[in-house]
Amino acid sequence: MSSDYDYSDDDGDYYDEDMIDGTQDDYSDDDNMMDFGGDEDIKVPQKGKRKSYEVDYESLSQSAVEKLIAEDVEYIYSVCGVDESIASLLLRHSKWNKERLVEKYMDNPTSLLVAAGVTLPEPTSSPTQRSAPTSNNSSSRRTTRGASRLLTTFGGSGSKTKSPITSPTLTHYTPRSFKPKSSDPSDKFVCPICFDDAPSLRTLSLDCEHTFCSNCWAAYLASKIRDESEHAVKCMAEGCSLVCPDPFIRTVIGPSATSTEPGQEQENAKAWSHFQELLVRHYVASNKRLKFCPYPGCTNTVSCPSAADKSSLTTIVPTVSCGARGIGDQMTQSQSASGGSGGGGWGLAGKEHRFCFGCHVEADHRPVVCPVARMWLKKCRDDSETANWIKSNTKECSHCQSTIEKNGGCNHMTCKKCKHEFCWVCMGPWSEHGTAWYSCNRYDEKAGVDARDAQSRSRASLERYLHYYNRWANHEQSAKLSLDLYAKTEKKMEDMQITSSLTWIEVQFMKKAVEEVERCRMTLKWTYAMAYYLAKGNEKDLFEDNQRYALLLPSHSLIIHLRLHLRIPSDLEKAVEDLSELLEGPIEPENIPGLRQKVTDKTVYVQKRNEIVLEDTAKGFMEGRWKWNVVVEGFDEPEKVEY
Amino acid sequence: MDARLRRVNKEIADCKNDRTSQIRIELVGDSPFHLKGSFPGPEGTPYEGGDFDVDIVIPESYPFQPVKMKFLTKIYHPNVSSASGAICLDILKDAWSPVLTLKSTMISLQSLLCSPEPNDPQDAEVAKHYMTSKHSFEETARYWTEIYAGGPGSKIGKTLPAGARDDVAIAGLDAQHVSRFEGLGFAKNKVIDVLRRLNYRGPNASKINDERVVEELLKP
Ligand SMILES: [Zn+2]
Ligand SMILES: [Zn+2]
Ligand SMILES: [Zn+2]
Ligand SMILES: [Zn+2]
Ligand SMILES: [Zn+2]
Ligand SMILES: [Zn+2]
Repeated sequence: MSSDYDYSDDDGDYYDEDMIDGTQDDYSDDDNMMDFGGDEDIKVPQKGKRKSYEVDYESLSQSAVEKLIAEDVEYIYSVCGVDESIASLLLRHSKWNKERLVEKYMDNPTSLLVAAGVTLPEPTSSPTQRSAPTSNNSSSRRTTRGASRLLTTFGGSGSKTKSPITSPTLTHYTPRSFKPKSSDPSDKFVCPICFDDAPSLRTLSLDCEHTFCSNCWAAYLASKIRDESEHAVKCMAEGCSLVCPDPFIRTVIGPSATSTEPGQEQENAKAWSHFQELLVRHYVASNKRLKFCPYPGCTNTVSCPSAADKSSLTTIVPTVSCGARGIGDQMTQSQSASGGSGGGGWGLAGKEHRFCFGCHVEADHRPVVCPVARMWLKKCRDDSETANWIKSNTKECSHCQSTIEKNGGCNHMTCKKCKHEFCWVCMGPWSEHGTAWYSCNRYDEKAGVDARDAQSRSRASLERYLHYYNRWANHEQSAKLSLDLYAKTEKKMEDMQITSSLTWIEVQFMKKAVEEVERCRMTLKWTYAMAYYLAKGNEKDLFEDNQRYALLLPSHSLIIHLRLHLRIPSDLEKAVEDLSELLEGPIEPENIPGLRQKVTDKTVYVQKRNEIVLEDTAKGFMEGRWKWNVVVEGFDEPEKVEY
Repeated sequence: MDARLRRVNKEIADCKNDRTSQIRIELVGDSPFHLKGSFPGPEGTPYEGGDFDVDIVIPESYPFQPVKMKFLTKIYHPNVSSASGAICLDILKDAWSPVLTLKSTMISLQSLLCSPEPNDPQDAEVAKHYMTSKHSFEETARYWTEIYAGGPGSKIGKTLPAGARDDVAIAGLDAQHVSRFEGLGFAKNKVIDVLRRLNYRGPNASKINDERVVEELLKP
C-alpha cells in the first residue's frame, strides 16, 4: 500500500485488493517479523522504508543470544587465557563488561578470580598483596584449557564438611574437580545434608572439596535456580565462596544427569533449561541495547540500539515486537495471521508480543513518549477515584474555598471553617433564600452566578483533567472489550459465509476492520493524555478564553484543540465510532455486499488517518515541536503558563 | 523416604539425644515441619535466667532454603522486632547454607543475644536505645527478660502480676522524665509513647528540648 497521505474525498480510491484477501500491507511492524521463526537466529531486517513512528530493531531467539554470549566467552578466553567455564563466571561477575574485566584481570588476576568465586581466597594473602602486572601480562594463550586438576580422592573421613583447603596458587586455574567419589568401600561417606550413607551414593565437590551427595547437589541447584533465579550458585558449605561453574551444573542437572530420587530427573530438566534462560536474561539485562520479551513463557530478546540511551525517549516511542505471538500454550514463534486459513491471529492466540522498549507502562502507547505516558498513568492512578468522588460529592465554600462534603439531602450548607451558610444547588448565600429552604429557585440570581463562577475557577483544573480522562478512559474501556469483539466478529464471519456466497478469505475484511479499530483507539486514547500535558499554543485564544476553559470547552473545541496541536483529522474519532457501530450492528444477508464495501472503505479511511496522526506526532517529537505545560523528564522546563 | 522429612526427623532426634547443648526442640502439632525451639538466655547478658521460645517453620525446599524462625518470647534486642519477634540474622537469609541445622541455627540465635549488631537492626528504636546508653538498654532488656521470659527477678518474687507491670520500665524510660511530662497534663501512655519514639534516654534526653516533646505530645 502506498504511503502517501492523500486526503482524497473519494475514499473508494483506497479500496484495495489486499484488504480482501487478508494479506496485510506494510502497515505495522508485526509483518516485518514474519520470517522470524523457530530456533533460527535470524536477524530480521526491516523491510521497506521505516515510518517515522517506527524504530529499527531486531529480534533474537534464545540461541542467538547464546551465540553472542559464546563470542564474549571466546574473547575472554583468548585475551585472558582462562578456561571457557571460568571466562563465563568472570563475565557474569563483571556484568558482561569485557573491557572492565580484562582491565581488572590484567591488574590483579587473583583478586578477580576470588571475587568471581572461581578460586578460593589464599589463606595467607593480604588485601594489599598484588601481583606484578607485567609478570602476569597475558600476551599469549595459556595452556589451561582442558588441563583439569584432578583431585586424587576425598579425605579419609568423608563426612567432614570443612577440610583444610590447599589453595591453588595458580592464576590460571581450572576448577574441574567435580568427579565422582572413589569407590573405596571402607571409606564410608555420610552426606552431611541428607544424612544418606548408602554405598551407591554418588558424591561431588568443587575444588574446595566440600563433598555432598549428587541428590543434594541437584535439589540445591534446582532450588537456587528456580526459587531465587540465581545464576551464580555458591557451594553448599557454610561460608564457602566458590561458585559452581557451568560444566559442574551440567554434570549435576544437565541432560545426561541421572537421579535415584523419584521425580528428580524431571525437576533437573526444568532447572537446567531455566538455568540456560537465566544466563541469557542476565546477559540481556546487562546490555542496554537488549530487552527480554516480557510475555510469559517467551524467551526471545529484542535488540533496539536507537532506544538504548534513555535520552532518546524524548524523541522516539520505541514500540517493538519479539516476533512471537500468543500466550502460554498457544504461543507460536512465527505468526501466520495473514494466512487464508483463518488460523492464528485471533484473540490471545494471535496476540503479538508487542512491548515498549523504553518503559513498562503499556505495550504500545504511541504516539505519546514514555515519560509523558508514565506521568499520565500515575496521575490517573493517584487522582481519578478521588477526583470523581470530589466532583460529585463536594463543593468549595464561596467564602474560604475550603472543600465541603454534601451530607445527606439537605441543600442548606454551612461551612465548618468559616461558618458561611449557602445553598448547595445555586451556591448563593442561604440568607437570600428566605423561607424557601425546601427548594431552590434562585439558580439565576446574581449572587448565585457569582459564587458558581468562583466555584468554577477553583475547580477548573479538576474539570480539565476529568475532561481528558473520561475520553481517555472511554477508549481504554473499549480496547479492553476487544477480545469480546474479536469473538463476536469471528462468529459473524462464519455466519456470513453461510448466508452469502463469500469465502473465508473474502470475509477477512471484518477482521481487518476490528484490528484497525483497536489500533485507532489506542492512538486516540493516548492523544488525550498527550493533549492534557501540551502547553497552550498560539491558538489558545480560540477556545481557552479564560480559566473556565474546561467548563466552557464544548466537544467541537476539543477537536479543534486536538487538530491544531496534534493534527488529528477532525473525524477520526467519529469514523472509528462509526466503524465500530457497523461491526457490531446486525447483518442482513441481502446487505452484505454493501456492508463489505462500507466497512472496507471506512477501514482504509481510519487507517490512513491514524497513520497521519502517528506520523505527524512522531515527527513533532523528533523536531522538538511539542512543549509541555508541566516539567517532563528529559524535556526542557516549560515556559511559565497559567491554567 | 522424603529426604526433607528424613533430615528433619534426624535433626529432632539429634537434639533430643544431645544432653550437652541447651537447645530443646519440640513439635507444635503433628507435623515435624512446624516446631518450637527454646534455649536459655546466655550467661553474663541481660537475658540470663530467661527462657526463650522460637517458632520454627521448615519450608518446602528445606534444607536448600533457610528455615524460618522468629521469637515467640518477647525480647528486647536490637536485631529482634520488639513487636513481632522477627529476627535479623544473616544465616536466616543469604548466608544460609544447607549444612546448617536447626540446632546450629538456634545456637547462632543464642550467640546473637551475646553480641547484638545495632548497625544492622531489626528494631530501630531498640537499636537507638542500645547506641545511646548501653547501661539503660541492658536494664530494660533485663526487665523484659524478667517479665516475659521468666527471668531471675520472677524467681525471687519481685515480679508483679501482669496488670501491674511497669510500662515505664518496659519502654526503657526514666520514671522521673515520664512523670514530669505527665505533670503537664498529658496521658501517661501518650508520654511513654512519645519519649520512647524520641529515644529520650541517657545523654540524649538533655539534647531534646521540652518544646520538641510537647510538640510531639500535641500531635493527634
Ligand atoms: Zn545428600
Ligand atoms: Zn565449598
Ligand atoms: Zn515474545
Ligand atoms: Zn514506553
Ligand atoms: Zn467557608
Ligand atoms: Zn439556592
